[in-house]
Amino acid sequence: MSFIPGQPVTAVVQRIEIHKLRDGDNLILGFSIGGGIDQDSSQNPFSEDKTDKGIYVTRISKGGPAEVAGLKMGDKIMQVNGWDMTMVTHDQARKKLTRKNEDVVRLLVTRKSLENVVRQSMMQH
Amino acid sequence: MEEYDVPSAASILASVKEQEARFERLTRALEEERRNVSLQLERGSLPSDRLVGGTTGGSNQPLAWQQMVMQEQSPSNQTSLAMMQEPQEVVEETVTIEEDPGTPTSHVSVVTSDDGTTRRTETKVTKMVKTVTTRTVRQLPLGPDGLPLPEGSSPLGSYTDSIDRRYMKNGERFITPQATSTLTRSYNNYSDSYNDTPDSQFRHYALHDGYGDVADNYGSLSRGVNYRPYRPYMPTGGYRPENSYTLPIRKDDYGHVAQPQVPMGSSTVDLNRSQPERFQAEPYGLEDDRRSLGPDDEEPYDLEPDYSTANRRTLPGRTIREPLRNGPRVRGYEDPIEAELIDERHPYIHGMYPAPLAQPERGSLASLDRMGGRRSPSIDSIRKDPRWRDPDLPEVIAMLGHPIDPVKSNAAAYLQHLCYENDKIKKDVRQLKGIPVLVGLLDHPKPEVHRKACGALRNISYGKDHDNKVAIKSCDGIPALIRLLRKTNDMEVRELITGTLWNLSSYEPLKMVIINHGLQTMTNEVIIPHSGWEHEPNEDSKPRDAEWTTVFKNTSGCLRNVSSDGAEARRRLRECEGLVDALLHALQSAVGKKDMDNKSVENCVCIMRNLSYHVHKEVPGAEKFQDPSALQGPGSAGTQRKKKDDAGCFGGKKAKEEWFNQGRKNGEHDKNYDTLDLPKRTEPTKGFELLYQPEVVRLYLSLLTESQNYNTLEAAAGALQNLSAGQWTWSNYIRATVRKEKGLPILVELLRSDSDKVVRAVAIALRNLSIDRRNKDLIGSYAMRDLVSNLPSGQQRPAKNLEEDTVVAILNTIHEIITDSSENARSLVTAQAIDKLVAINRTSQSARETKAASHVLQTVWSYKELRNALTKDGWNKTHFQPIAAGTPKGSKSCKPGYDDTTLPLMEKNQGNRGCSAGDMIPMDELGPDGYSTIDQRDKDSKYKSSDGSSDLQEREPLKNDTNRKHYIRSNRPTVSLVDACDVKPQPVDSWV
Repeated sequence: MSFIPGQPVTAVVQRIEIHKLRDGDNLILGFSIGGGIDQDSSQNPFSEDKTDKGIYVTRISKGGPAEVAGLKMGDKIMQVNGWDMTMVTHDQARKKLTRKNEDVVRLLVTRKSLENVVRQSMMQH
Repeated sequence: MEEYDVPSAASILASVKEQEARFERLTRALEEERRNVSLQLERGSLPSDRLVGGTTGGSNQPLAWQQMVMQEQSPSNQTSLAMMQEPQEVVEETVTIEEDPGTPTSHVSVVTSDDGTTRRTETKVTKMVKTVTTRTVRQLPLGPDGLPLPEGSSPLGSYTDSIDRRYMKNGERFITPQATSTLTRSYNNYSDSYNDTPDSQFRHYALHDGYGDVADNYGSLSRGVNYRPYRPYMPTGGYRPENSYTLPIRKDDYGHVAQPQVPMGSSTVDLNRSQPERFQAEPYGLEDDRRSLGPDDEEPYDLEPDYSTANRRTLPGRTIREPLRNGPRVRGYEDPIEAELIDERHPYIHGMYPAPLAQPERGSLASLDRMGGRRSPSIDSIRKDPRWRDPDLPEVIAMLGHPIDPVKSNAAAYLQHLCYENDKIKKDVRQLKGIPVLVGLLDHPKPEVHRKACGALRNISYGKDHDNKVAIKSCDGIPALIRLLRKTNDMEVRELITGTLWNLSSYEPLKMVIINHGLQTMTNEVIIPHSGWEHEPNEDSKPRDAEWTTVFKNTSGCLRNVSSDGAEARRRLRECEGLVDALLHALQSAVGKKDMDNKSVENCVCIMRNLSYHVHKEVPGAEKFQDPSALQGPGSAGTQRKKKDDAGCFGGKKAKEEWFNQGRKNGEHDKNYDTLDLPKRTEPTKGFELLYQPEVVRLYLSLLTESQNYNTLEAAAGALQNLSAGQWTWSNYIRATVRKEKGLPILVELLRSDSDKVVRAVAIALRNLSIDRRNKDLIGSYAMRDLVSNLPSGQQRPAKNLEEDTVVAILNTIHEIITDSSENARSLVTAQAIDKLVAINRTSQSARETKAASHVLQTVWSYKELRNALTKDGWNKTHFQPIAAGTPKGSKSCKPGYDDTTLPLMEKNQGNRGCSAGDMIPMDELGPDGYSTIDQRDKDSKYKSSDGSSDLQEREPLKNDTNRKHYIRSNRPTVSLVDACDVKPQPVDSWV
């Protein structure tokens, strides 16, 4: 799952389409992301490889659009509406996800067992 | 007088031609200077008066005198002084923190949207940065307005310079004479001028003009100065006698001024003394004085028809002037006043003004005569004998109702002068029913009248005698002031109004009245325009910087005072449209320009601090942000836009799941741990919401980093303290943002401040910030030593000799930090704080200190894993028990182990890790003990009242230790984790 620059990426990917929820002026996807090339990847509890600077789904709001669409915590986001997310900063990812003029976000994600991830992160500590 | 005419007429004509050439040259320069001085000019009302007096002066000397007198006591000077003083009265609320310890955690999805927020702020900051130079330039013109010393000084300086050029010798003197500058001086000048060649006369006039302006600002002093400079030749002797009349008063003024405007006062005094002019008081001199003194009515700049300003401006006027004038000199002088305002710096201009002088304003003179009716004799006598009589107080007050406007204005001006720094006269004016009359004059259509009336009210309203303030309020003076503020565009009048309001605002019962009548007006008329903030900024236009005008300073000072008047006042200010926006803009401008040590910035920060107090309780819709856990539920989105925070939208439980906390039950406690997911806004925040946006953190931190002003530092720390209090979403954001913005080191650094109040505010802020678990760990690691070093050791206070409140605040902060954190408790021991704590506990004279220290000690002892080390250091249980209350055991005898507790402590994490991470203790159980924030709040609020009792101690008897420890253990896992992570940058997590 981890992305290593210069190396081909092999992963099982899933397409997820999330329809943003409009809350006043805000469009809500209902999940949170962590990671990015500007972040400390060693603190990412979801990645196998602690050098993975990809964007991960860290939290899902209950009943939110993301959960409805089937997104899971720990998913690694590979693309957003066709934009590569494996080599972007945290903020770039956030911006791609939160564009005001897009009501629908199509994600390409890879997934590992959430429990597995949690266990790993726990063991680390 | 007559003598003058003869020589003057001839000489003037001759000189005119000669100077014609000069004039043209100077004209250009004058234009420039006019611009510079434009502000000042507006204020310089005196000149016009003088002109009037001058014109008539020839014939009506007595009248002129009277007028002169009035002016001498020119209110303007006094006013400025008075204003300066006022700041002292400013009352501030030190609002403090509050927190609900009980439910610290849960919710908030914390995480960082560092990127977003941070960047935004940064950009702002960069924009802000602009050249300071512009500012200084502006200030110069402002100077005349006066209040601020520097301002005042600067203008004077300029004046002097010009003077020097002409009359090198006099230059210095100018300033000084002002105070004394009474009629006599002017007289001297006249005589001199006459004596001199026509040229000299012109110059003299010119000088007057220039000084005239100054005079307005500074009142009598400036005038005096003018005179002297002019007549370097003149022997001082003449002046002094005359001076003696007025001098006493002026001196007072200076003295007053001295506080605020030290530079000016000192200089002026010296000048007067220094310049001994041989001049003898000549009869003519007197006349001159009148002119200058003359009715200061219209503002020169306004060019009121009466004074035929046009004439003034026209240089050629000189020629004209001769014919016009009966007593040319007189007029000349009069003109000068007006002209002076314009050209203070340009001596040459004088020539030009003569013409204007020519215009006789009889009105004023006439009025004088009439007024003089009674006095005329005195006036005459004055001429003959410089020691003429001043009108007594009842007479002056009666003159306020005189049908002739110049009389009114002169009477008001005189009153202002009399009241300066003289509480007795203020009281007398009140008892003679003078205040309602003055208030009535505020609505007078003539600028000269309402300006002088306002000046008198400003001085009267200054001081500790609140009866004067009440008297102004009782006759509807506050609405009248506000009306005038709306109506006038005269800077000087606005300064006087806002200065008066500032004075009034120092009295508690009037605060709400001011808010009711004037809040929106002051905001719209002063705060917003001067802050540079624009309601709907034009995309193309650059953001404007704040202008630190006197008006802005006064108004912000007034609002600063009223903002401390309780919850309702805060609500009104918060909801005042544009106020918070403008204040914030002004402060950001100050930060950008690195100009944040001035009074206006201080005022603004204090307002922000006060408005931030209890913001989590008082802001509309605050309940929706209250406890994150309560926010759960997708639909819960608040009415507010900001509401978008995760917790609010999606339920707090989820929010707790963070990088590190996942899977841990304890995670709940630590939800604040990592980072907050700051809400994304689609539209810009405005109004009171700006108060608690995480963006303000950077602003306050910039102030804390850059400002040298203790009051500003205290207020900025207090603002963070207020914002980080309480358990609502925004305080969570604030606490996390302070950490992300690297604010903790800044605050810790300020613990070393020499200012007691800064240390106190910072200490309390740190306590509130430590509600955030991660902050607590960091603060425990890095701030403990500085906190402890501020504690008194034994009976000797540290060098700082901090006040009781501060010591108690520090102790409470320490308590908060070590609560639920054995790591931090260990740090405390390592910092060798036990010695100090035990000493305070046993020997402090302050019950509050004793209590607070006892509380800390109990908490320390509650960590069983520390006891070993403590015992090795020679401590035993009795040291940690409350001496007074809790411990029945009288064994206080234990020797404090001064040996140090340097022994290696147990590994911090040992105990913690041992505890099962799984133990989750509901936050509620931790309750007050854990966070004891509630107590702290109470305490904090008590700080103000100064009777803070440490609730904490009472709450926790040692007996509870067992329970407590239990909790603590459960928490430990998190603690240790935190420690491990602290070093690393926190992972960012953003809701989308």
